[in-house]
Amino acid sequence: MTMTPAAVALHGVSRTFGRGPSAVTAVDDVTLDFPRGGWTAVMGPSGSGKSTLLHCAAGLERVDTGRVLLGSTDLTSAGDAELTTLRRTRIGFVFQSFNLIGALTAEQNVALPLRLAGKRPSRSVVRATLDAVGLADRARHKPRELSGGQQQRVAIARAMVTRPEVLFADEPTGALDSTAARTVLDLLRAMADAGQSIVMVTHDPGAAARADSVVFLRDGRVVDRLAGADARGVADRLAAWER
Amino acid sequence: MLGMSRAGLAERWTLFVGALLSVALGVALVQSSLLLLISAAQQSSDDAAVPMLGIVLGGAVFLAGFVISSTFAFTVDQRRRDLALLRLVGGSRRQVRRLLLGEAVLLGLGGAAIGVPAGLGVMAVQTWLMRRFEFVPPAFTGEWRMWILGVSVGTGVALAVAGVLVAARRAARVRPLEALRESGPAARVMTAGRWVAGLFFFGGALALVIVAPHGGPAGGQAMAMNVAMPAAVAVVAFGPLLVPVLARLVPFGGGVLGSLARANVRDARRRSASVAAPLIVLIALVVGNTGAGESFTASGVDEMARSTHADFVVEGTVPARPGVATVSAETSLDAQVVTGSGEDQETTDVTALVIDPRAYAVVHGTSVDVHGQAVARGPGGEVSTSGSVRVRLPGADLGELPVVASVPEMMSGGASLLLPPGLVPAAALAQAPTRSFVALAPGADASAVRADLARYGPVFTAGDWLRADAEQRNSTNDKVMLVVLGLGGLYALIGVINSIVIGAATRRREFAEARVTGLTRGQVVRSALLEAYAVTGAALLLGTVAASAAFFAVLATTSAVTGSATLKLPWPLFAAVAAVALTVTGVTSLITSLSATRRPPVTLLAARE
Ligand SMILES: Nc1ncnc2c1ncn2[C@@H]1O[C@H](COP(=O)(O)OP(=O)(O)OP(=O)(O)O)[C@@H](O)[C@H]1O
Ligand SMILES: [Mg+2]
Repeated sequence: MTMTPAAVALHGVSRTFGRGPSAVTAVDDVTLDFPRGGWTAVMGPSGSGKSTLLHCAAGLERVDTGRVLLGSTDLTSAGDAELTTLRRTRIGFVFQSFNLIGALTAEQNVALPLRLAGKRPSRSVVRATLDAVGLADRARHKPRELSGGQQQRVAIARAMVTRPEVLFADEPTGALDSTAARTVLDLLRAMADAGQSIVMVTHDPGAAARADSVVFLRDGRVVDRLAGADARGVADRLAAWER
Repeated sequence: MLGMSRAGLAERWTLFVGALLSVALGVALVQSSLLLLISAAQQSSDDAAVPMLGIVLGGAVFLAGFVISSTFAFTVDQRRRDLALLRLVGGSRRQVRRLLLGEAVLLGLGGAAIGVPAGLGVMAVQTWLMRRFEFVPPAFTGEWRMWILGVSVGTGVALAVAGVLVAARRAARVRPLEALRESGPAARVMTAGRWVAGLFFFGGALALVIVAPHGGPAGGQAMAMNVAMPAAVAVVAFGPLLVPVLARLVPFGGGVLGSLARANVRDARRRSASVAAPLIVLIALVVGNTGAGESFTASGVDEMARSTHADFVVEGTVPARPGVATVSAETSLDAQVVTGSGEDQETTDVTALVIDPRAYAVVHGTSVDVHGQAVARGPGGEVSTSGSVRVRLPGADLGELPVVASVPEMMSGGASLLLPPGLVPAAALAQAPTRSFVALAPGADASAVRADLARYGPVFTAGDWLRADAEQRNSTNDKVMLVVLGLGGLYALIGVINSIVIGAATRRREFAEARVTGLTRGQVVRSALLEAYAVTGAALLLGTVAASAAFFAVLATTSAVTGSATLKLPWPLFAAVAAVALTVTGVTSLITSLSATRRPPVTLLAARE
């Protein structure tokens, strides 16, 4: 055991889709630690199993073999009720397609996880969270009245309102232009600096370079790990592995 | 959760209009039928009114349950992504269930709020129909009861909640990951529940088809008339398997639109099945039951024609005349048969015929040996063929009489008791109508005899009389069918419209994608229309399959009872229903796809939720 236990630890995790000759092993015997209080980026070619790895790490996808530990909680043996509770309290998600509920305003979307947890969210907490992503003035807008970057920031606010141990993000900037993407990355950087553990899948070397370390995946296996590299360094390494 | 329910309802209102309408109409129909049933039971009216209203009430509850639950299941299915998203951000299974139940309660209350006043309108229509067809006297009115308010609100909520229960259980099993897939692996459409329900109702229909021929004329007819319903439910349960396969057989024509429509039918199996379901029920019930009814009538006429050996029928008493070989004068009386005693005593209203056994045997081709203080069981059944019965006539109690003979039961029914002459006091006979079946002597001059007979009452040839008798019976049949099936059919059509509207409400994005891919608005609309026609065609075919189950029962029953299998298919009705179905699905599809493509496609694709 290291001094600071990992936020999320994977031990020999495998996940295969399908059966017989058409079976695809999306994640192949991966053992990996995502450090607490750090921002880890996951990169790799399309279809290399990044999303599947993230889903397994977050308890959204069943694993075939291996164990996934969130802190000291074993996700692989948790039942549906326990996983639901974890999603309410200890895990936050952000995805490429923002996945806000269209019927609810930004404010209501952000308050939703708290309300699902049976708490009465105080307006000030919700407002403060929206304020942190720079959207205090858009609280009463519905998702369709917001730009893509704004919707993604509402999604981040929704993920952060429960103060989760780990924030999982799958290509959070994938659908955004470079300006909106920078705003989102700045936000994540500030959160990581404040001690938030973040696991982020991305295609963009520029985005990966903002993280503390980068994990490279190929054919479902971890092939490399890089710390403190700049965009150039990440891009070179990625190019090397994609060859 | 209630807040979420409300917000959800407000946002996706187009999705819920259908559900709301089906609840409202269900409440209206149930309320109206219940009020009329109670009014009819209290005011003295035709005997036929109460059982008919009972059937209408049962039918209304069945159809309401069916349409509402399939509409709800469909709306829930269309929202799988929303529900998965709720799970993703920490919603539990129970919360998903509670959300849907909350919506159902709101829809039930809303449906009742619309359904109660609408029920007054439905009651006016039903009352008018029943007066028109003389099921009730002209002075009959349906009476309002205050307590019906509670019943209607309860009906609305109960129907809605019952309708959503299965769907809610299913929705609670949605996996959070499904929120992340644009078009997730479509939920499995042939669920275990569908298999179980399908096989169960298939078994029920099959059992009825097998047992009906052994049920005698009355039982057999009743069973055959009840085959279409379970057969339709079975076919509907297997809809997601059957509809796409059949719909693909419909010629689409070549070209890009045809292949797009074909791909859509295959891909959206759930939507296709849910448009087809009410149509299948509509066809099966209307065509199956009308066909069965007409076939039994035709079979009864054939049977009568084969067994009646008379040349003329005179509405009056004919004495022995020159040129006449046999006269069977039959006097018809309203009788009551009393069975059991004390608490268990039961009274049945039947028709009794006072006959001359010898003449009756000659004219109707069946020997009946009854004389003195005894009765015979007539062709109408209802009375046991042995033992004794207690017979009451208006103004005369004949007391306990042995049943000493019986004639075969007939498809077309008739009198249940045959009484020998001399048993009934002359006073009781004085006012009763008599009909004489007249057989000519060999070599007699038919027209001369006919002229002679006219002195005793209106004269018909036997053939004319049988036809007129059948027509009269048929028209009563048609009236009942019209009242019972008309409203049900209307309801089923609303179910179809619901499914298309709900389907289109969730297809905005799909249409927009097709348009940015290069299809014109007209092409998108035409392809949706083609798809609607293919699904309607498949539904017509499957409805006919379900109706055929009833026809099998008809063939088996008529063959067992009369010795000759009879089937009379209601082609004009089928054509009319098919035309209505095609028009309704066509027009609805046109309107909904036009409205779903009203806005330019980019505005739709820009919004990501
Ligand atoms: N639900 C599923 N069913 C079947 N196969 C799947 C499923 N999810 C993923 N796969 C397969 O697993 C492999 C890895 O998929 P995954 O989505 O994890 O890749 P990825 O690295 O995220 O790719 P991208 O960068 O394109 O998002 C792919 O070959 C994919 O086809
Ligand atoms: Mg991915």
